[in-house]
Amino acid sequence: MKILNVYRSEPDETVKKLVEIVTRDRESDSFDLADASPDYDALVDKIFAADQTICWW
Amino acid sequence: MAKSLGIFVTNPDNFAHVLGITKAAKAKGSKVKVFFTWTATHNAKDPAFPELCELADEVSICVDSYKKQGYDIEDVPQGLTSKEMATQAQHGIIIEDYDCYLSL
Amino acid sequence: MEYKKVCFMYRNKDYAVDGMRSALGLAVENMYSYGVVMDSEMEQLDEHNLESLEMLRDMEGDIYSTVPANVDKNGLEPIDIEELGEKLRDMDIIVPYGQK
Repeated sequence: MKILNVYRSEPDETVKKLVEIVTRDRESDSFDLADASPDYDALVDKIFAADQTICWW
Repeated sequence: MAKSLGIFVTNPDNFAHVLGITKAAKAKGSKVKVFFTWTATHNAKDPAFPELCELADEVSICVDSYKKQGYDIEDVPQGLTSKEMATQAQHGIIIEDYDCYLSL
Repeated sequence: MEYKKVCFMYRNKDYAVDGMRSALGLAVENMYSYGVVMDSEMEQLDEHNLESLEMLRDMEGDIYSTVPANVDKNGLEPIDIEELGEKLRDMDIIVPYGQK
């Protein structure tokens, strides 16, 4: 199970805690969507490579 | 063959991401479906919304949300047909029929 | 056929009621559908929304809250962040819904 965590803003303590539990003992990757000019091409590659994508607030 | 991608949009501030991701996925040969709900139905009035409808394979909005956001349901946004003024069943289709899921 | 499990999370009270409607929409599509109201205190659910909650429960879904006031006021099921994290591990689809 490979999880991709996408962040629309800087993760707060709640999101960090949930990510920690959800990704425990699992492969994971992340993508910063709060970046001024996100590399959508790279994001789509990551989405296709993951089993589950979670786009946090 | 590229995987298919379904995008469920619940936040009106993410329209640029919806467009950027759809463009990138289509460039890879992916089939893309986008469904907008609640306040994200305001995106249907974005000047770039018809461009998204051209790019993606399917675009639909929650008609009940659209109405609750103050729009007339007879006012079908440019790029959509009345059939694409739809229900939450569209979200179910994204989950069941598409390889990859993204909420924005 | 294996039914999909979906969990919505609402951090902004302006999105909670409509988000519950989205959860109900998936339950009628034969998915196990859950929602979690986080961070903010909701208003009292009206009769229509209480009926929607009951319908969701009839279809083996539920709405939880990390906020005790929502549990007291609207009869939501209590959950804390650790329990929510564990629940999310079991989900096929996770939807951080709306604006924060």
